[in-house]
Amino acid sequence: MSDEVDRERREMHKVLNPQGARPDQSMRITRRMFVHKALGTGVAVGAGVTGWFPIINVVSIANAAEMPFSFAWISDTHLYPKTVNTRFVDKATRAAKEVQAMQPAADFLIFGGDIAQLGRAEELELGNQILQEVKIKKYFIPGEHDWYFDMGDKWRKLYGAPNWTFDHKGVRFIGLDTISRGPDYWSATKMSAEERMDHMATLDGTVAGAWAGVGEDQIAWMQKVLSDWKKDAPVVIFSHNPLYEYYPPWNFWVRDWRQVNEALRPYTKVTNIHGHVHQPLYNEIGTLRSIGMLATSWPWPYAPEGVPKLTVPMIRVDPGDTYDGVGWGKLTDASGKVDTQYEMWGRKEVFAQSLSDSSLSHPEVLHARIADAGWFAKD
Amino acid sequence: MAFNAHRLVRSRLGLAVALLTLCIVGPASADRSPVTPEQLKEYDAAFMAMVKKGDLLFHGDPTTIKQMGVNLSSTGMACAMCHPMASDTHPGSFPKFQASVGKFSTLRDMINWCIEKPNQGEQIDPESEAMKALETYIYWSNSGSVLDTGKY
Repeated sequence: MSDEVDRERREMHKVLNPQGARPDQSMRITRRMFVHKALGTGVAVGAGVTGWFPIINVVSIANAAEMPFSFAWISDTHLYPKTVNTRFVDKATRAAKEVQAMQPAADFLIFGGDIAQLGRAEELELGNQILQEVKIKKYFIPGEHDWYFDMGDKWRKLYGAPNWTFDHKGVRFIGLDTISRGPDYWSATKMSAEERMDHMATLDGTVAGAWAGVGEDQIAWMQKVLSDWKKDAPVVIFSHNPLYEYYPPWNFWVRDWRQVNEALRPYTKVTNIHGHVHQPLYNEIGTLRSIGMLATSWPWPYAPEGVPKLTVPMIRVDPGDTYDGVGWGKLTDASGKVDTQYEMWGRKEVFAQSLSDSSLSHPEVLHARIADAGWFAKD
Repeated sequence: MAFNAHRLVRSRLGLAVALLTLCIVGPASADRSPVTPEQLKEYDAAFMAMVKKGDLLFHGDPTTIKQMGVNLSSTGMACAMCHPMASDTHPGSFPKFQASVGKFSTLRDMINWCIEKPNQGEQIDPESEAMKALETYIYWSNSGSVLDTGKY
């Protein structure tokens, strides 16, 4: 991380954590969670308030749940038509079957976005068909790959409103749409729908810009949704993108994360579960904790800078094994605790057991691509 | 014998003197001059043209792929989908024993393995323009990273 970014984050942390606030202190660490002590030296985010690094496949969250329940998360299936890529179809199908087979059964499934790769109706329908396997209640939020071919028309027809809220056994759940408020990068250069989608689908592309955001209107909606909710009652927020700044060049953030965090500040038990990053992540900002989930399609390496200091990195995967480094997530509530568990295929150990087994052992300096520069509108 | 030995010594001495002279004064047709800003621009343009070509191949641009006559993937996946900004390619760590390939490998070996295995495409000629372009883009995008040859 550059000194400038580091300094900015420390300042922001001070603003958002005036009294060194953390997610609710009644959070308990289960016996399955490894505890790393004294690794917090020099930590930018959470400095001075945390001395432990949680291994996040088992995070316990104190909550006021009335009775035990569990729910499942699948995201980032990135389906092409069956004729193009059968691997992604196989993996999405496997995740759906495993969710359906959960014992005890999950109360509901959250699909966290990017069901399709290029936003085509055929891809979105294929995802819908695969998820018919899951008979429990399903909730969907969109990803950018689902949206920018027809600006969400087909997605809405299949899955409904892109944001929503419901209460379940003492927890308020909120689904956010972090993808539909991108800047108009297509009109000035008269892009076709395919071209618009292709630029959006290129993670390291430079044309679509800072497309990830919650938006003032949706932040106001979220505040309204929470206005009758007790400040110390549990809230779980689902979003495609993380609700903090990790790595903007890949939209591993929402551009208005400061406002989102400000709006959530009064609530002391907020957990954000997000997709998009295709990798395990854990972060805390003030009273908001964020957990990044696995994709079923393919894993992404950690970004060259901005990985939250509280994240224990996942293992380096074998690119020759299509089931390595991917999977889904199981979130189980038992006796007032919620455990988040990664169901990663092809690995017993989700997390790096040594520095050599982590992609972060190779620091990188990377440069933005140049070949898409011609797509910018001339002044 | 004595005469022949004398001649040999003389001829070797002559050769040494000739070589020394050449080293000191240079070849008769010395035409080298300092590099000019124009030349630097030209060299850089040649380099960046190759970076751009590699960038397009790496991101699965269909036109460039067709032009260069290669088949880098049959799964819909482009290199950049697993390696945005050529991340996690670690060109500075090659050559090394590459566990996934199962042998001592150069970056070009690794590129070809990725094309053939995860991407299910067809290996390309290691000396081809396409390989040079891919290699150039990967190195360029990682410029400033530490050279750490052999690192796992």
